[in-house]
Amino acid sequence: MTSHEGRPSSIFHRPSFCRGIHKAIKDYALKFVVLISISVILFTGCGADPNRDPNELVIHSVLPAKIGTLDPGNWESIYEHIVLAQIFEPLYEYHYLKRPYEVVPLLADGMPQVSDDILTYTIKIKNGVYFHDDPCFQDGKGRELKASDFIYSLKRIADIKNCSKNWWIFEDKIVGLDEFREYTKTCQSEEDVDYCRPVEGLQIPDDYTLVIKLKKPWPQLIYVLTYQAVALSKEAVDYYGQDVISHPVGTGPFMLKTWHRGSYIDLVRNPNFRKDYYPTQGQQQDAEQGLLDDAGKTMPFVDRVIFRIIEEDQPRWFLFLRGQIDNIIIPKDNFGQAIAASMDLTPLEITRHGTDPLILGDFLMGLTPAMTKRNIRFNTYRQPSTLYIGFNLEDKILGANKPLREAISLALDRAKYIELFWNSRDEIAHGLIPPVMNSYNPDIKKTGQRYDPEKAKQLVRQAQKIYGLRQGLRLSSAERPQPSRGKIPTLKLSMAGTDIMARQIGQFWQRCLKDAGLDVELEYLDLATFLNKIRTKSAQMFYCLWTADYPDAESFLKLFYSKNISPGVNSFNYRSSEFDKLYEKASCMPDCPARVELYRQAEQIIIRDCPAAFINHPVAYMLYHDWLGNYKPHAFQFGLVKYHKIDKRKRDAYKELVKKTK
Amino acid sequence: MTTYIIRRLLYTIPIVFGVLLLTFVLFKVVPGDPAIQIAGKGASPQVIEEVREEYGMNKPLFFSRDSQFLNHVKNALIFDFGRALDRERVIDKIKRGLGPSLAITIPMFLGILIISVSMSLFIAFAHGTVRDVLVVVICVAGMSIPYLSFILFGQYFLAYKWWIFPVFFEPDLPLYKCVALPVLIGIAAGLGANLRFYRTVMLDEMRNDYVRTAFAKGLSTKRVLFKHVLKNAMVPIITRVTLTIPYLFLGSLLLERFFGIPGLGYLMVEATSSRDYFVINAVTYISAILFVLFNLLADICYALVDPRVSLE
Repeated sequence: MTSHEGRPSSIFHRPSFCRGIHKAIKDYALKFVVLISISVILFTGCGADPNRDPNELVIHSVLPAKIGTLDPGNWESIYEHIVLAQIFEPLYEYHYLKRPYEVVPLLADGMPQVSDDILTYTIKIKNGVYFHDDPCFQDGKGRELKASDFIYSLKRIADIKNCSKNWWIFEDKIVGLDEFREYTKTCQSEEDVDYCRPVEGLQIPDDYTLVIKLKKPWPQLIYVLTYQAVALSKEAVDYYGQDVISHPVGTGPFMLKTWHRGSYIDLVRNPNFRKDYYPTQGQQQDAEQGLLDDAGKTMPFVDRVIFRIIEEDQPRWFLFLRGQIDNIIIPKDNFGQAIAASMDLTPLEITRHGTDPLILGDFLMGLTPAMTKRNIRFNTYRQPSTLYIGFNLEDKILGANKPLREAISLALDRAKYIELFWNSRDEIAHGLIPPVMNSYNPDIKKTGQRYDPEKAKQLVRQAQKIYGLRQGLRLSSAERPQPSRGKIPTLKLSMAGTDIMARQIGQFWQRCLKDAGLDVELEYLDLATFLNKIRTKSAQMFYCLWTADYPDAESFLKLFYSKNISPGVNSFNYRSSEFDKLYEKASCMPDCPARVELYRQAEQIIIRDCPAAFINHPVAYMLYHDWLGNYKPHAFQFGLVKYHKIDKRKRDAYKELVKKTK
Repeated sequence: MTTYIIRRLLYTIPIVFGVLLLTFVLFKVVPGDPAIQIAGKGASPQVIEEVREEYGMNKPLFFSRDSQFLNHVKNALIFDFGRALDRERVIDKIKRGLGPSLAITIPMFLGILIISVSMSLFIAFAHGTVRDVLVVVICVAGMSIPYLSFILFGQYFLAYKWWIFPVFFEPDLPLYKCVALPVLIGIAAGLGANLRFYRTVMLDEMRNDYVRTAFAKGLSTKRVLFKHVLKNAMVPIITRVTLTIPYLFLGSLLLERFFGIPGLGYLMVEATSSRDYFVINAVTYISAILFVLFNLLADICYALVDPRVSLE
């Protein structure tokens, strides 16, 4: 309690004491705080590494978001996967150069032997693969990889005590694995779980053979084994406990040196990495572009990889121009600085450059003189993603009014949206499956969704009749309005993101729908709330992006399977027995023309029923410096750093050039 | 005095309990189920329920010996905030980010304080002159320019164009070099508002009779300003300073984000958006304790600098 009575009441009010304190404060306080601040600055952990070799080859890469974990059994974001894929290795990978994407063995010794009933996969494991040296092993020396390590990895994903985000991928797929999960529920703690407990569907006849038995055909398993169930040692998990998230011990070409959370990840070359060779085959243009110059050489080509976490566009762009990072996706606001205005890079134009679904190009011609002067290279690639506005079909207004949903789809000016927000880089989505997938239907441009404002207005009038009629049926005869006067109430569009870009996009859609005669209220939510809203069926319309995990359109079609309705991935709460039959049949089939046909039929059903308005398929525009060699974009694989090389002479020359222009 | 301090410390118990209760209730009321977040993007309802059970989210909220709230209080008292949604210990997260955050906020705070207090004395002394008007105009302009503009321009000119500072945090550079520009920008951006505040405080003091008397006695300007005016203006300065210090712990979101300083600025923002209850709880709890302690410190300082103030 304070008072201003001016009445000395304690020792603190004796003049001599106060003078003493005043003097002490005057003499020492400022010095003390200055000392603290200097100490804080100097002794907070970061500083130059005096042992750094000036000739080491370093790849400077960038991540636009923070990563939360380096636990290979529990990653979720693509950025976590990019880092993990340099440290841990799965059984299979995609061929670095070949297109369409081809799965090839990585830790597996050959492709799996599949039984006639396509329920049993027998996979041989390579001999002579060792884990990184780490204190978790006896004498700190990494031990040899065994088939049991993959079983451990799978069981750990199933272990409820581990709460893996990736269990859903394996749920109801492998014989006995669901039962193992049930068993872990009965354990008191993580330590009580017995990983030696047999699982019928996971067997190891010998140390180098893994047998996986499935409950039903699952042709996507081979793709799943390119990014899940990586080689993980039990020793590391036991040694580090829950802190294994920051102590990754894998078999990959790089090992973690420093993870300064929220700032950077420093990986160094694994000195004991096995002999792994750069591919000797590729596409025709790969040889022309020098991508086969290192064919047959031992990888990796660099000593160190630094991933810097830079969330804002401006510093990322400045660092790229200074040569402090090697490659960058062109930020929206710097597009004009990088790409010449004369270059027409409409999707149609780009397609002409490519010979396969992944578009290519290693252009110099499209860049501005400022970029070409710096020998900056430019490449584009399609992403396996689709952006859409989803409709909750359990909503009373949207669910029973197909013309309304179609009107919304027709009212969205996709081309203008791509021009305004993505510098005309992306491709218009007429359907669900993006062009990067082999089951993409080229005829979808004619038969799929499109922008037609006049038709949208007509359909809105039709939708109003349906809505009015339904309202009329609910009201008593006295208050029943004319069916034709049913004004559609204000609709609500939920946007994931509260940033300026999300707001601008929301306002653009609002304007498009207003032009068609529909009022829309916008709602901006952070990602967690947004996901919660769509999973609890509380959203009416939602603006969302879906990215495929593997080159199989099943990854998109499962979004509409009735058994996956909210809180599963079917946020549209779409139910169609016709679609389900096709999906169930196709998803169990191996990749073949008949399956492609079924996927396309299923997509047509989706377009007909219109549970979503598809907007665009993103295309990445990548700039990279000429010292980054063997660079070829890949839509599904992330452990690519081992293929890349650095020309230090060119990098040093660039730095000199930049300093001269300072 | 001792009795006063003990009494004030005892007051912290209901305050902290209230904070714990409030964060707990708010978290249960606000939508966003952390179990969905933990279970992953394609989790089935059953898996989500399993996760809920695993994290104890299906236990009774209040009325049980093993209730969620009771566990929440018990853990907070021993500073065991558990693990965040990314599985890292919350306390490790805070410890790790505290150094870099304070490396920006403490020099920034001291810089603003020293410059604004000393300048305000001189400006108040020169009240009504062209210099005073000029400084006020600059202060108002500084307050009107968005914080982000200071960052964008500072980064563009001082780092990218003129190479005076690094553009972004460099793992191989000493920390003081990396924080120099954010600190400078922070001081420049924060000076306007602080200078205007302290100028008002000093002007109030300058109008008092004792200042006129001091000048009439023939004391030098320096002595009047620093010995008399500054001393009497200490109460509002202490109030502002002690209430600002707990915020230093929270870091500076924009500066850290644009300059890649791995501090705590983002921690609360990210925790809120991802519904990371464990982190929100820890930061709110620590902030509440800091606020209570620094309020107490402010009261003690009042008594030290102003003999008219007594602690009872």
